[in-house]
Amino acid sequence: MTTLLAEAELVESRAILPGQWIGSFHAPHVASGARAGQFVHLRGPDAPTELLRRSVPLNTVDASTGIVTLHVTSGSARATDAFPVERLRVGDRVGLVGPFGRPFEVDPRSRHLLLIAGGFGMAALRMLADEAVRDGRQVTLLFGAAGARDVYPSSLLPDEIEYVVATADGSLGHRGPVADLVPAHEAWADQAFAAGPIPVLAALARHAVGRRERLGVATLGRKRGGGRPEPSGSATARRKAFLQVALDQSVGCAAATCLGCAVLGVGGVPLRTCREGPVFGAEELDWDAFA
Amino acid sequence: MKARKRVVTTRRQVAARRTPTVRRIKSAIVPAVKRPVPASSRSGDSHAGGASTPDRSVDLTVDLGRGLVLANPIVAASGPFGYGVEVVDSVDLGLLGALVTRGTTLRARAGAPPPRMATTPSGLLHAVSFQNPGVDAVIEKHEPAWRGWRVPVVVNVCGESVGEFVEVVRRLEGLSGVAGVELNLGCPNRSRGGSPFAFDADAAASLVAAVRRTWDRCLVAKLSAGAADVRSVARAVAGAGADAISAINPVAALAVGGVRDRERARDRTLFGGAGAGLSGPAIRPIAMRVVYEVVGAVGIPVVAYGGVITLDDVLDYLAVGAAAVGVGAAALADPSLPVRLAEELADACSASGFTSYRALVGTSRR
Repeated sequence: MTTLLAEAELVESRAILPGQWIGSFHAPHVASGARAGQFVHLRGPDAPTELLRRSVPLNTVDASTGIVTLHVTSGSARATDAFPVERLRVGDRVGLVGPFGRPFEVDPRSRHLLLIAGGFGMAALRMLADEAVRDGRQVTLLFGAAGARDVYPSSLLPDEIEYVVATADGSLGHRGPVADLVPAHEAWADQAFAAGPIPVLAALARHAVGRRERLGVATLGRKRGGGRPEPSGSATARRKAFLQVALDQSVGCAAATCLGCAVLGVGGVPLRTCREGPVFGAEELDWDAFA
Repeated sequence: MKARKRVVTTRRQVAARRTPTVRRIKSAIVPAVKRPVPASSRSGDSHAGGASTPDRSVDLTVDLGRGLVLANPIVAASGPFGYGVEVVDSVDLGLLGALVTRGTTLRARAGAPPPRMATTPSGLLHAVSFQNPGVDAVIEKHEPAWRGWRVPVVVNVCGESVGEFVEVVRRLEGLSGVAGVELNLGCPNRSRGGSPFAFDADAAASLVAAVRRTWDRCLVAKLSAGAADVRSVARAVAGAGADAISAINPVAALAVGGVRDRERARDRTLFGGAGAGLSGPAIRPIAMRVVYEVVGAVGIPVVAYGGVITLDDVLDYLAVGAAAVGVGAAALADPSLPVRLAEELADACSASGFTSYRALVGTSRR
């Protein structure tokens, strides 16, 4: 927590969608060693009247230049949190500390990655797509939004990935929730990674439970999904799960102290988003516990 | 680093001090790393030029009773700093008047389901619901470290019955690392249908009296704003033997909204039906009223909690008569805030030529 006072300068900001921006920050302290799925804690210009720093997943990271991009929303994407990114100007300094939490775990043997983003969940998955392409894996990204105007622009994604869109109103791509797209891809995928609203993640998690039986697929490795249960929060627990989810909870201290970001694991065990998360194996969590 | 008054809580401490030699060395080193004023204190770095050591000539000590003497009136309120051990490497806890721990119950509690926090205008809604490892685990894991700290550690005690409070306090008895207890009277009282102890003068008094019989060190009773007449509750707990009163607990509150699925979940309450506690500047005027009334009703010291962010907030609470002031929610975003406020208070006193911060206490009542 000694790093909790670090700052970063905004070097570029652009609106990508209504109420959504991608900001580039010069933050070498964050960029080195950061991995997809981790998050940073952002403290805006309204400090100290903002009572919480805002947790934002890493969007892209360039360790050589120290540039970190963050995909942020202006307003009520998550309950009542807000970060006034639209009022930031290039050159402004914000409190930016991290990275925090545990990253997505990609099995070295996985060739096909299925990424599933519900709306603003794209913020947490974008970096994983970059890493997977860099490592020569094939990536299919399923994206769900309310309508065409909220669909993440494909121009911001790596060319190498397949991008499939679903909209609730049918104005672009498949009409219906993004989870509808999963059955067509789940046999192909070696691993799946999801981020988005809790109801979307819960639906995906419930769907993922019966996957092996449903498909009768051979799984990678001898004891994949079997063997002894892994301790919650361990990298192995995440790697063993077919579906890993990145949670977007309000994070208070990011130092595993305040317990405000805790979610409940299977058996009612509290798991802190900032320490044991934000990436969890889908079967680690008690999805019925979310209010 | 100047020598500071060490809080002697019991005579037993002398015997206990032999064990944690290593830890004492560590804690002596940590404060010695004099941080520059953190860059995050963007508003008015009035004391930026290394004036961070409080002026020796200003008397900042606060006597909360039964040997608990705070080195200064700034307290880390229960919650943000956990049990202190989580933040001891990054915050100079030794520069605080006291550290109040996370609420601690007899047995481990898993706490509330997610989400547990949401921000509201000027406020923070939170529903951790007493997640803690239970008093025995707390003692085993943390109390040895507390013994070596310069900052007195006050354990915030929670429970749902008088018996549970008494049992928790009994386990803390005789531990030299525990300087005092703060009874969270905002806890639901199971024998009164879940109505908080703090809402009922009789229930509050019998709880304090029961704990008083087993606890001979400093006992702080933490009151809530929801009491119909907080003055009668304050008088009752003072009469039952509380050494000091702290106020206020988070205010019971609720918000609607939450997850982003507009079609299905837009109109649900956050935090289920259980509700949450509201902290932050939103409750500061409420707390100000409670502190003002409690100070007028009792003669024992009052520790004020509620939305402290700046030195002005501290001075306001002192002006209505608080003897000490706690920092809670704001320490989440800025863990160095409590220490900084302690330094700013000392600077403000010396700049005004006061020999004691008590010149600032109760000024609005004169």
